[in-house]
Amino acid sequence: MDIPTQHQTSTITAALLARVTKGDQQAFSQLYDHSSTLLFTLAVRILWSHDDAAELLQQIYLDIWRKVTRYDIGRGAPISWLVSITHSRAIERLRTRAAQGQQIPTGPNGQALAKQLGDHGPSPYETRIEQERRLAISATVAELPHAQLQAIELAYYEGLTHIEIAERLHQSLETVNAEINRAMAQLRERLQPYLHQGDTHDT
Amino acid sequence: MTHEELEHAVPLYAAGALNRTERQTLEAHLLSGCASCHSALKDYQAVAASLPLGLSPIKPPRTLKAAIMAERNPTAIPASASAKEPLKPSLEPGEWMNHLFPPISPARSLPLPWAIGLVALLIVGVGGYFTWYADLQHTGDASKIQALETTLLERSAKINTLRRDIDSHTASLTELRKELEQRTHEAAEAKEQLALREAELEEIRVQLSQRNDPHVARTPQDELASLLRRPDIQAHPLVGSDLATGAAGTLLYDPLTHKIWLYAINLPESPIGTTYQLWSIDGKPVSIGTFPMNRGETTHLLIRKVLNFTATKSFAVSLEPIGGKLQPTGPMYLVSRS
Repeated sequence: MDIPTQHQTSTITAALLARVTKGDQQAFSQLYDHSSTLLFTLAVRILWSHDDAAELLQQIYLDIWRKVTRYDIGRGAPISWLVSITHSRAIERLRTRAAQGQQIPTGPNGQALAKQLGDHGPSPYETRIEQERRLAISATVAELPHAQLQAIELAYYEGLTHIEIAERLHQSLETVNAEINRAMAQLRERLQPYLHQGDTHDT
Repeated sequence: MTHEELEHAVPLYAAGALNRTERQTLEAHLLSGCASCHSALKDYQAVAASLPLGLSPIKPPRTLKAAIMAERNPTAIPASASAKEPLKPSLEPGEWMNHLFPPISPARSLPLPWAIGLVALLIVGVGGYFTWYADLQHTGDASKIQALETTLLERSAKINTLRRDIDSHTASLTELRKELEQRTHEAAEAKEQLALREAELEEIRVQLSQRNDPHVARTPQDELASLLRRPDIQAHPLVGSDLATGAAGTLLYDPLTHKIWLYAINLPESPIGTTYQLWSIDGKPVSIGTFPMNRGETTHLLIRKVLNFTATKSFAVSLEPIGGKLQPTGPMYLVSRS
């Protein structure tokens, strides 16, 4: 039976990844079902292309299956590891496009980004706890001052360095650094209950 | 950089806002064992990883899972194979920090001499690797070919040995076949000889049994003599008529076999075209049989089977034309003694 893709990231455990490493096809299917929506959402957010995002996810999942990319329990929660892989590869792809002179699809402006991040609409594919977490994170991010949010967005989703952000926003490097630092500190404080979920979840 | 500057760089590092040189500087500091920076980085990395959890979910295409499932290998690489790979520490230096950041910094941030040096190192490294790999492949192929040649020679030697064995067995089989044919021929001859010997033996056995049987005579005369010794035999003497006064005869009847035995002596030679004919006379004469008397014969034995003999008391022998007659037409030569 085809399980609908969900944000059931809490079910992605180190044990599940260990089964995938051993060639357990059912575990691999479960890993995809419970993580693909989150990773695809992230990839689309960075690449602004469903096709590129799908191609990227295909590479990531195949690398996991073929053990080209392997999880280690010292790397934090399994879902954080998956997000990190997807993020770094999507940014790498984005920069490859730039190096090849391709036009980088740009997302909406900061307001639209905030709207994107602050979308509180319910999703039929989430568990209740995960929906609560998503809404909490969205709300916390949406509460960030616009300058902070914009600096975080440009760094995290567009892969710009603080120097490039300063150039893009016509601000000083010190200002950009301060905005990013304040934003990260606020998120660290307010998201503390959600930050390390899953670190010791699995056995 | 001072420690305060490094501490301020930690959130930027987690958000992906540092360039390569800045990242390497911070990583070196973290690897030096700064616990506070390490703890802070762990939290900020978790913050960065949680950002996508706040995005509105976008479902991947329905075909993506099928494409992934179709493209992957049917089975994963066995765990034993992966175990042969050089064991890496679970967290290599700097690797744990690469999770959140792209492994390649923007090229434009590198100084030109560094870039040229890196490219040169990369070329040398890649060239060296391919040379080593090609040499390894060549060495491996040569050893494989040598092993295959050795195996081929061994197999050829085995095939030749087997071929010689087959030839030897074929020759042995041919000799055995010839010997079998010879033995079969000899057996056929022996069987034929045996049949002949069995026939001779059977003949001898019959002769021997005939000699040993007291009731079986070798000749009719012997049989007649044995009949005369039996008490149930009926005897009827015959005497010569005026035409043959010296002739006589004895007629015996065996009730067991219903046979009549006529033993005639001194009858004259029957002329050509004539024959003697024996009659039983019970009211009217009934022919029992005919017999000739050839030149030089003095005795003759006639044996005939006759039913209902008990009522007959009188017999006669007449000379009749050859073939006999239904009724006596010629002269009587023997008659019952009344």
